[in-house]
Amino acid sequence: MTKIIEPDKQTNIFRRPSSEYGFWSWITTVDHKKIGIMYGYAAFFFLLIGGLEALVLRIQLAQPDNNFLSAAEYNAMFTMHGTTMVFLAIMPISAAFFNYLLPLQIGARDVAFPRLNALSFWIWVFGGLFLYSTFVFGTAGAPEGGYLAEEVGWLGNAPNGGWFGYQPNAGFKYSPGTAMDYWAIGLQILGISSLVSAFNFIVTILNMRTQGMRLMRMPVFTWMTFAVAFLLAFSLPIIAIALFYVTFDRQFGTTFFLTEGGGDPVLWQHLFWLFGHPEVYILILPAFGIVSEILPTFSRKPLFGYPAIVFAGFGIAFIGFGVWAHHMFASAISPVAQAGFGISTMIIAVPTGVKIFNWLGTIWGGKLNLKTPMLFALGFIGMFVIGGLSGVTHSIVPADTQQTDTYYIVAHFHYVLFGGAMFGIFGGLYYWFPKVWGKMYNETLGQIHFWTMMIGFNLTFGPMHWLGLQGQVRRTWVYAEETNLGFWNLIVSIGAFIIALSILIFMANWIYSKRKGETAPFDPWDARTIEWTIPSPTPVWNFSKAPEVKALDDFWHAKYDEDEEGRAVRRDTADDLLIELEEEGLNPKEEIVLPNPSYFPFILASGLPFLGYAVIYKTIALALIGVTLLLIGSFGWATEPLEEEFKTKEEEE
Amino acid sequence: MDSSIYSGVFNLMSDNHKEHPTPKKYVQIALFLGVLTAIEVALYYTEDIVGVFTDPLLIFLAVGKYVIVVGWFMHLRFENKMVNRFFAGGMILALILFAIVMIERAAGNFFN
Amino acid sequence: MSGGHDYPHESTGVETRKLGMWVFLSTEILFFGTLITTFMIFKGRDFPGIKLTDVYDIPFTSVSSFVLLMSSLTMVLAHNALENDDQEKTRVWLLATAMLGAVFLAGQIYEFTEFYHKGFELSTNIFSSTFYVLTGFHGLHVFIGVVFLIGLWAIGQRQKGLSLDSGFNLEFIALYWHFVDIVWIVLFTVVYLI
Repeated sequence: MTKIIEPDKQTNIFRRPSSEYGFWSWITTVDHKKIGIMYGYAAFFFLLIGGLEALVLRIQLAQPDNNFLSAAEYNAMFTMHGTTMVFLAIMPISAAFFNYLLPLQIGARDVAFPRLNALSFWIWVFGGLFLYSTFVFGTAGAPEGGYLAEEVGWLGNAPNGGWFGYQPNAGFKYSPGTAMDYWAIGLQILGISSLVSAFNFIVTILNMRTQGMRLMRMPVFTWMTFAVAFLLAFSLPIIAIALFYVTFDRQFGTTFFLTEGGGDPVLWQHLFWLFGHPEVYILILPAFGIVSEILPTFSRKPLFGYPAIVFAGFGIAFIGFGVWAHHMFASAISPVAQAGFGISTMIIAVPTGVKIFNWLGTIWGGKLNLKTPMLFALGFIGMFVIGGLSGVTHSIVPADTQQTDTYYIVAHFHYVLFGGAMFGIFGGLYYWFPKVWGKMYNETLGQIHFWTMMIGFNLTFGPMHWLGLQGQVRRTWVYAEETNLGFWNLIVSIGAFIIALSILIFMANWIYSKRKGETAPFDPWDARTIEWTIPSPTPVWNFSKAPEVKALDDFWHAKYDEDEEGRAVRRDTADDLLIELEEEGLNPKEEIVLPNPSYFPFILASGLPFLGYAVIYKTIALALIGVTLLLIGSFGWATEPLEEEFKTKEEEE
Repeated sequence: MDSSIYSGVFNLMSDNHKEHPTPKKYVQIALFLGVLTAIEVALYYTEDIVGVFTDPLLIFLAVGKYVIVVGWFMHLRFENKMVNRFFAGGMILALILFAIVMIERAAGNFFN
Repeated sequence: MSGGHDYPHESTGVETRKLGMWVFLSTEILFFGTLITTFMIFKGRDFPGIKLTDVYDIPFTSVSSFVLLMSSLTMVLAHNALENDDQEKTRVWLLATAMLGAVFLAGQIYEFTEFYHKGFELSTNIFSSTFYVLTGFHGLHVFIGVVFLIGLWAIGQRQKGLSLDSGFNLEFIALYWHFVDIVWIVLFTVVYLI
């Protein structure tokens, strides 16, 4: 019998929400697991949209001199593809993992600030919707006398200045419509969401660890979450200011980035990349963490060199702050700066290499279990190394001036972001599927997904290496027949559709397995970390009682002992332990107090898009609505205690 | 892997609050800060006399006031080391990054 | 924080909300750092037009700075009073802090109005833009702080008084307020004096 304390009293104008199921329970939830699931689905939806944008680009580029898309539409599509994939797909999918897993991996009931967690999610949702509302309300606008003066179709009325919004191209003079305002303000809103998450996670990791969970006993995924949070916390404020400058230049007549007013376009590049480079580490570190969880489990060996992996992760994060101008080698920075940043970029390969060797060391000599998560983890290592190697070639400044703005760069970052981050993420989705849903996914479909994706991915991005070196320019809507680039571009486009097919297979697997999958035991992989000691699907209270951790990989040591040669020998008590954990996990003996659901994060978040529209359309009424919502949200929140003294309502489980 | 070198890096020992300064002490600190501000303003007017030392002195005074408010009013001096390190870390990062940007933009003006 | 009675709170020994506020303030350093850096990059540049040095009034701003500095004192006295559970004094010092903050803001508004009349407007040139955005964001932070302080004072009037355990807490609002003060300490030097 579980005693869950339910809100009973009315302490505010509105009754506190109390439902545990149904639509309102999702809007008012502060449960990290529900929030994680919402992030996951919403992010996946945007992943599909970003994928469609990519397919549309590839159709245009499949043939030379094509006119499937106009130049204006092409610019909008590649801008939205990049912006969507970075901010609306990979970051929130990582957030889904952080949200769901972090408290479980450190043995906590929830994060440090549950309502703030919900706020992050809702701000993100509203930010994403705001950004995409450009397709409904936005206008690309054509600069006077510019070649884009033709009618821009629906697909073109979106931000078109690249995901990096270089000024003054993305300023009001050359992008006079409202589309780039949607970009700047949309990103501003999304940034707030991630910043709030970041300090929530930092405080959670520092303060909410269970008994015995010392920092150096935490799973690597938790460590990577910590590094990502630190990167977010220190890089987002910089882009926030930079985006304010862009909005001010576009709306209020300032000239931060306009030379005619004394401004400096290169300043934008500095500020953007000061954020933008840590951002790419934000994109990859979660996958590093996920892979560091999968490899030991499926090699049945401990992670090789745990402290080295942890410190290397932080080394990457820290040095990652010092390499930003390698995105600016061709932007008229001084040779001294170029040399300095070239060197720092080479240096960052070192901790990355340390991690790769440690992963290889983990696999070496292990008893490999080649299930889908493991395939993706192994694929990750291969593809990420390829991407990393091309990355190192960019660090050589003279070489980079040839490579920059060509498809060689596109190849690099897709190998690390897709072959790296996405493969890691897919691995994680399969790995934790049983824990989240209580069912096993279909292994055959998983394997088909992996191989199809592997083939499609390499067909798409492999040829981009030589296409780039042969001179195919980025961000250009068309290439001429005479360049002889048509053949490989066609292969690339076919590869893109194969990727699309693999995603469909993944979705089919997901839907089928959720309905008809085999019931999963709570430890299907014979894993090492404590999130596997609780029932599948995870009960709302997570742990029945606070676990006590005595070592790294505590769960593994509880199941296995080591013989004289260091090999794992299953303990006699292991099976009893599993039965005991299962029983205990489903039947907590004590009163469990969970943070209460709340409307206010949703209300507060809803104010932000109004402010955004108010700035673009210069409407005071909208601003007032926005501010009112913010105030109601804030004051309601401030006067509503997180946990309240209520009568206990006993519930049969 | 719980050897002491790691616990040195991540100091988790709970430093309980040492004694708070008294109100009288706070007033003294505030008066001292007022005096520093007065010196700063004076320096602005005596730039001809102090000459090239003006700017460094102003910076020194500002840093001094900053450290005093952070250390005593915000209590950081008496706080757990973890918090200290986090805040100091943010500061150092900001100083380094922004110094690089400022130098690059200043140097850029020479090379172009 | 939730978790029943078996959960250890605060693995670091620092109260969770306080830790959260310090982390937030560390991010604010990057925020204001960017603003200050931008200001400084353009400050020395050779560009025609009205500059801050043409319009400012150091004595006036010095008084403003002193006011804000003293508000940090009243803030810390408010905190001290609450720790000694003197509700009356806490409210007095809180109100004093809010009022000093409001005086500072009034001073800023007066100053900006004067500058506007002299032709130093937001979009006049890069010097004015960087000035207004930097000091403007600082002013916004002061304003939010004053709102919080008055809110705290009001809550103190309403219920049985303030407590260091409540969610909306004097201790971390104090930290925020002091931070706003130290940003001004840097701003005053960098923008006006140097």
